[in-house]
Amino acid sequence: MNWTCEQTELMLTDYLDRLLPTDEQHAFDLHVNTCERCAPLVADVTRAVHTMHSLPELDVPPRLVYNILDATVGPRETVTRWSAFLRSFASPKFAYGSLSVAATFLMLVTASGFNWKKPKVADLAPAAIYRNTNRQIHLAYARGTKYVSDLRVVYEIQSRLRQDNELPTSNEGTVPETAPPKRPGTTDGTTPASPRQQNRARVPGDVVTASNQSDNLSSHLRVLAEELPVLSGKLSLAMSEKLY
Amino acid sequence: MEQDAQLVQQCLQGDGSAWEELVRRHSRRIFNICYRFTGNRTEAEDLSQDVFLRVYRTLGSYRSAHGGFATWMTSVTRNLLIDHYRRTKRDRVTDSLDDAMPVVENKESAGRRPDEQALLGELSSQVQVALAHLSPELREAVILRDLQQLEYSEIQAVLAVPEGTVKSRINRGRIELARILQQMGVRPS
Repeated sequence: MNWTCEQTELMLTDYLDRLLPTDEQHAFDLHVNTCERCAPLVADVTRAVHTMHSLPELDVPPRLVYNILDATVGPRETVTRWSAFLRSFASPKFAYGSLSVAATFLMLVTASGFNWKKPKVADLAPAAIYRNTNRQIHLAYARGTKYVSDLRVVYEIQSRLRQDNELPTSNEGTVPETAPPKRPGTTDGTTPASPRQQNRARVPGDVVTASNQSDNLSSHLRVLAEELPVLSGKLSLAMSEKLY
Repeated sequence: MEQDAQLVQQCLQGDGSAWEELVRRHSRRIFNICYRFTGNRTEAEDLSQDVFLRVYRTLGSYRSAHGGFATWMTSVTRNLLIDHYRRTKRDRVTDSLDDAMPVVENKESAGRRPDEQALLGELSSQVQVALAHLSPELREAVILRDLQQLEYSEIQAVLAVPEGTVKSRINRGRIELARILQQMGVRPS
């Protein structure tokens, strides 16, 4: 294909935008590579186009959007510093924050021993708050300790009862029938010195009766009372009364 | 495009926030076209405002079936720019290339080093000077194609001329611009 300088100039945009058919593109390239007049022209225009493509967009002036809105939909409500500040209080964010602060304050005041039924200004004095808080902490600690001790007692009683319930059935078949009958708590004709000994001295295979069981339980409680001096008296007594 | 059409519908139903959204979406593009055409920030601001005012008043005449809202708005912008050019032709003093002093511009600077920003700013100003020396027909064609990067069909819709004329104007505009830039000694890498 015979390509001229006029054609190059006319088809330059199509060439740069890659709109030329393949054969024309080839002819264009061939001509530009050999033409001293067209080569710098194509190079300059290519550079100019690339330059324009590389230019960033300008930022919009800050007031332009507001000016346009003022000119079209009318002046907007002017938000002053104070009105913006006051408006921020109406936000859900502020409401949630206030609620959580109030809840925390209530919890702290209650924990410090403040009496809500008979409120006194004196209770809000720092010294009173400190004293009441200290008292509350000690009370909470004592209650916690007592609760743990009670749990230990209950656990001990339950485990002992479980042992007692299991013993007669498991040992029934292993005890010889010829074994001499003995009274519970007696091993060699002597009376055991302590309940613990009495407990140890029990012979397996005895017939477990209701009275025996209650004896056992009372002896367990006595043993526990000896072993765990921190036992709650109330609980032990209650259990004893229940058993008898 | 569909979102623009939806916003236009909401505007026509009296939704002020939809209009505000349209203004925010298109103000940057319109301001850039105006600035590249006039080469003056104050004039570009005033013209952008006029464009939106006209769009607001004639929003009811926009039909999404005839093309995108952006194209329609660009067409309104172009008409206003041409009117403005004709109106100010007498007052305008054509500067020679030697008198043209590049103006430092406030450009998007995200992710660029200061030296790159300075170079781009200088280059942008030189291109602006060169654009000012093109005839309005060639200038608008080059701006729409190479700065706004519109398709030929969109430019054809905006300028309301046949595609051959669009191509011819872009071609002549580019060659002229390259020649002016070369005369100015601008040789971008």
